[in-house]
Amino acid sequence: MSYIVPIGPYHPALEEPIHAKLYTEGEVIRDAEVFVGYNHRGIEKLATERNAIQTLVLVERVCGICSHSHALTYALAVEAINQLEVPRRGEYIRVITAELERLHSHFLWAGIALHIIGHDSMFMHTWDAREDIMDMLEELSGNRVNYAMVTIGGARRDISDEMRRSFEQRLDKLQKALDRVVELCVNDKTVALRTKGVGVMTTEEALRMGAVGPHARASGVDVDVRRDSPYSAYGDFEFKVPVLDSCDVYARVVVRLLECYESISIIKQALENLPSGPINLGNKLPKIKEGEHTSRHEAPRGQLIYKVVGDGGFNNQRVSIHVPSYKNTPTVPVMLRNNTVADAGLIIASIDPCFSCLDR
Amino acid sequence: MQEYREIRISREEIVPTALRMKHDGVFLAMIHGYIQKAGQVRVSYEYAVEPAIEAYYVVGETSLPSISDIYDTSASWPELELHELLGLEFEGLDTSKRLFLPEDMLETEGKGQILVKPLSELRETRENMEKE
Repeated sequence: MSYIVPIGPYHPALEEPIHAKLYTEGEVIRDAEVFVGYNHRGIEKLATERNAIQTLVLVERVCGICSHSHALTYALAVEAINQLEVPRRGEYIRVITAELERLHSHFLWAGIALHIIGHDSMFMHTWDAREDIMDMLEELSGNRVNYAMVTIGGARRDISDEMRRSFEQRLDKLQKALDRVVELCVNDKTVALRTKGVGVMTTEEALRMGAVGPHARASGVDVDVRRDSPYSAYGDFEFKVPVLDSCDVYARVVVRLLECYESISIIKQALENLPSGPINLGNKLPKIKEGEHTSRHEAPRGQLIYKVVGDGGFNNQRVSIHVPSYKNTPTVPVMLRNNTVADAGLIIASIDPCFSCLDR
Repeated sequence: MQEYREIRISREEIVPTALRMKHDGVFLAMIHGYIQKAGQVRVSYEYAVEPAIEAYYVVGETSLPSISDIYDTSASWPELELHELLGLEFEGLDTSKRLFLPEDMLETEGKGQILVKPLSELRETRENMEKE
């Protein structure tokens, strides 16, 4: 018998509002639709009435998890329009913050995924390890959510030698915790049964729909803006881009965990080779020159794109924000087809969706 | 600094450009739109020709051919957004369902077009709706 199973927009299993309709036959999902827009706040419109510093504060509030990514990508666009050269130390600090953000985002997601499949003890271990990352971010920026580490022309706060040494030790400890999560996810039968062969998106489908980030890399698409179009200080570091081709939820778990090793490596390289000198170009409020630029950053969920248009005044003429979930959310119906209703929550979560980001 | 190139094209070149890019395996980064100071709308099709972004833009066209049959949802979602927020028309695009705005948004039957109207006017409309 056929049923339409509605989920959301307000539902205990959802962290953010989204509405999905599952067209089912018995337990099997034959087709699905997703509806977004429940968090549309008109942030792009608000940005047209703000100057560059005010916009940094605004765009950090697009997302509670990847707030630094938004501020960084906006700053990259304004700096390109104004042809500003950011001091190297400032760029390194930006990269350290971005990679700490990626670590906390992936640990958060891994914890949620383990919780959804019913492995609550490992969910708690994962989030316990994540607390160390949050502590590092708090020590670095003074904040746990909106870090405010970026200013136009550099970073806002410096890293002391003592902090560097402390971070290196804590990253070693984090790597051990990561080893444990990886060992469990790769060898545990429960994790394998709930994730292998579930929510498949083929490489062809990922390319056709333009999927990005770890979601695409788990489907065999080898893309990463940090490597393909280096920006900030990413050109100075050696790192691998993990790509898997099993195209299922399991691959999405493993790709994100492998990326955590690379993030730890990047942070260690940055801490070890941190250049001396200023961290920014000063605090003067910049005018945004006439012109436009599109900047890209590999945020934890994938490619984040900002287009900024300036008209020579203090305010933006246009800020256009396109987030990874914009590309990944339309792939959800494809992944849901021919899976069971019981796996729907896990499959939707497997793209690491952020609907606040998407709706803006 | 990431490289960014702007190339002006005509309305008729939008589809051939998209076909050429798709054939070359180029990723459609995004479709952006805004109103220029002179009052003309500018729509920019941005392709990731690594390591650069190539922005193919048209100016002054409010009705454009859809490239959603070439780039699937990575084109249809931004086209729908521009339809809702800027009031642009895309020939061949299914606009029967809204993307971001509620069906009863403001007075325009689902098309708030909030990127066209001044914020003061939008606030006034909102206040009037709340009074009613």
